Amino acid sequence: MSRLPLEDLRSLLAERSLVRLIAVAIGVFVLFSVLASPYFFSVINFQSMGFQVAEVGLLSLAVMLSMLTGGIDLSIVSIAAVASLVTAQLFRATDAQAATGMLAIGETVAFMAVGLLVGTACGVLNGLLITRVRITPILATLGTMQLLNGLAIVLTGGEALYGMPDAFLTIGTGNLLAVPIPVIVLLLAAVLTAAFINRTGTGLRLKLVGANPVAARYSGLNNDRVLMMTYIASALLASVAGVIIAARSASASADYGASYVLLSIVITMLAGVNPNGGYATVTGVVIAAFTLQMVASGMNQIGWNAFHYLIVQGVILIAVIGLNTLTEEYDLFAWIRRLRARSPDDASPPPGPDRPGAEPVPPTET
Amino acid sequence: MRRALARVPWNRLRGENNEGILVLSIVVLAVVVGSLSPRFWTLSTLLNVGTNSLENVVFAMAVLIVIVSGGIDVSFMAIGIFAGYAVIVLTNATGFGADNAWIGFGVAAVIGLGLGALNALAVAGLRLPTLIATLGTQGIIRGTMLAFIGRKVLPDYPPGIDQLSTTYLVTAHDQIQTRLSVLIIPSILICIAVSLLLRYTLTGRGIFAIGGDPEAARRAGFPVVGIKVFIYLLAGVLAATAGMMHVTQVRLANPYELVGGELDVIAAVVLGGASIFGGKGSVSGTVLGVVLIAMIKSSLVLIGVPGAWQRAAVGALLLIGVSAQALAAASRRRRAVVLTEEPA
Repeated sequence: MSRLPLEDLRSLLAERSLVRLIAVAIGVFVLFSVLASPYFFSVINFQSMGFQVAEVGLLSLAVMLSMLTGGIDLSIVSIAAVASLVTAQLFRATDAQAATGMLAIGETVAFMAVGLLVGTACGVLNGLLITRVRITPILATLGTMQLLNGLAIVLTGGEALYGMPDAFLTIGTGNLLAVPIPVIVLLLAAVLTAAFINRTGTGLRLKLVGANPVAARYSGLNNDRVLMMTYIASALLASVAGVIIAARSASASADYGASYVLLSIVITMLAGVNPNGGYATVTGVVIAAFTLQMVASGMNQIGWNAFHYLIVQGVILIAVIGLNTLTEEYDLFAWIRRLRARSPDDASPPPGPDRPGAEPVPPTET
Repeated sequence: MRRALARVPWNRLRGENNEGILVLSIVVLAVVVGSLSPRFWTLSTLLNVGTNSLENVVFAMAVLIVIVSGGIDVSFMAIGIFAGYAVIVLTNATGFGADNAWIGFGVAAVIGLGLGALNALAVAGLRLPTLIATLGTQGIIRGTMLAFIGRKVLPDYPPGIDQLSTTYLVTAHDQIQTRLSVLIIPSILICIAVSLLLRYTLTGRGIFAIGGDPEAARRAGFPVVGIKVFIYLLAGVLAATAGMMHVTQVRLANPYELVGGELDVIAAVVLGGASIFGGKGSVSGTVLGVVLIAMIKSSLVLIGVPGAWQRAAVGALLLIGVSAQALAAASRRRRAVVLTEEPA
């Protein structure tokens, strides 16, 4: 037995959570296709879900990154608002709505870049508070959430900003081969994030710091630099979400999307991300984001409102982690042992740590 | 002179939970704002601070016991407005306790107990991380209120609560009339009760012990799960009482209020010296933290800073306060290292 049985078990469980998640997604899809027919199962509905899912998906990826290192970024929505407000303010200040042709495209690219840059700078602020001042991530990002949101209110006087050129709005409202552009941005961001955490050294260090910060430090990692990178990357993703929000709703406001903090944490938990650090799954987050978007749209179509959806979010959150805690933490081994004792040639019981001779069983479902 | 200074017990003045620093901040703030705006030195400022603090201080007691036990609660505002709004709806619909506001407070407390049980189930039963658990219950509680209890702003109060809302302890006749609600009395009593609970009861010591180290608390013989359940039940009752105070004071039951303002209270508790890691915190520090934030908010208005800055100011204040604590802790650690390196 070359590998640690616990490791096998963990990867198995990880795969299982993905399989379970896909099953849930298909279940939700079928449920609402039946309940909300004929509206749900239609190209228009899929497109409209695509426009809505991108911003939440991007914010969830941002939360996922911070959770990967065992922290949390509560300031994502405020950062998104800052990025969208900076971009919108620049458009307004230069009267860009009147611009046409290359000028409009040039301005769009430049102002978006500034918005993303300012938003990402907010991530530097989070990183400094966490690594230099050594404030715990919850408090640091809770403080910057309030501070940035407050500054956004000051900047706008609490009103929404309008006046963006069509070239910019296309990003939020256009289709590319019948696929909404926001979805393409989300998938692109997801692929890049996955490459970042799975294929780069920094990504590996992120996981190590999350899995065990003390061990990571003793292995010679610069934990502070890793954490800094995490909150910068998280802020960048949040800023992209902010730009998408501005382009989709044709306005930028300090108050937009306050409920997204809960929703993006629900999505990361449903995806199976470990809030204590060390494990994250981009595929899971994307599937979970689409699943919750199906729930939102489906509920809307059968006549339920945003407040019912709020309840459902809370219930999903508590049910998912409750289930994970109950099965993973203390019931699983006993349960498996009992199962094995009852039926010795049961299909595929995973090996427990007290049975070193047991063969590691690959996840049969995949 | 130097000797006299040396004899001043600086550490005691500073207080166990930075109470001294908070008092100093409050005094400095009063002097600065008072010199900028003479209107500050009036009874109405004091009454305004009292009015703004009396419900937040009760919310802060709920947050304090959770933070001392090593958790964090973001559902308390949802519990508060749920209880306050539901009592108005229920009393208007059934007429039960319409003439006596205290029955309303009792019903609110029962509702708070139920909603606190939800948190207790999630935190102590399912062992969820407290931030995530209470974010979830916040969604459930707020969603249930808005989906099933009501979404209208209710201006009509039952006579009992209506009468209580216009019962004032003190009235100041400056340029405009400022009043202080009689609710300040229960608010103070609750603070004293929580203080006694934390300081002199076995349960209270257990809350500190769990916050310090749950495993050590368990081995010392504290019923950890039982105490956690108690904490979230009590926090629910306190939050519901505070929500009822809020609804009574504003005389307009608006279900969209309170949620979103959690940070004002959390900031006050953390500024008051409570450690987010648990095991540390005091009622006196928390009360001073609430008063400081209420003062800063009313001072901003007095010296002509637009109201839009309030949110940013509280955020900045929280970051400054937490930074100061973190830096002080870091310097203590450095000093401790130096001490161990010195020859005995």
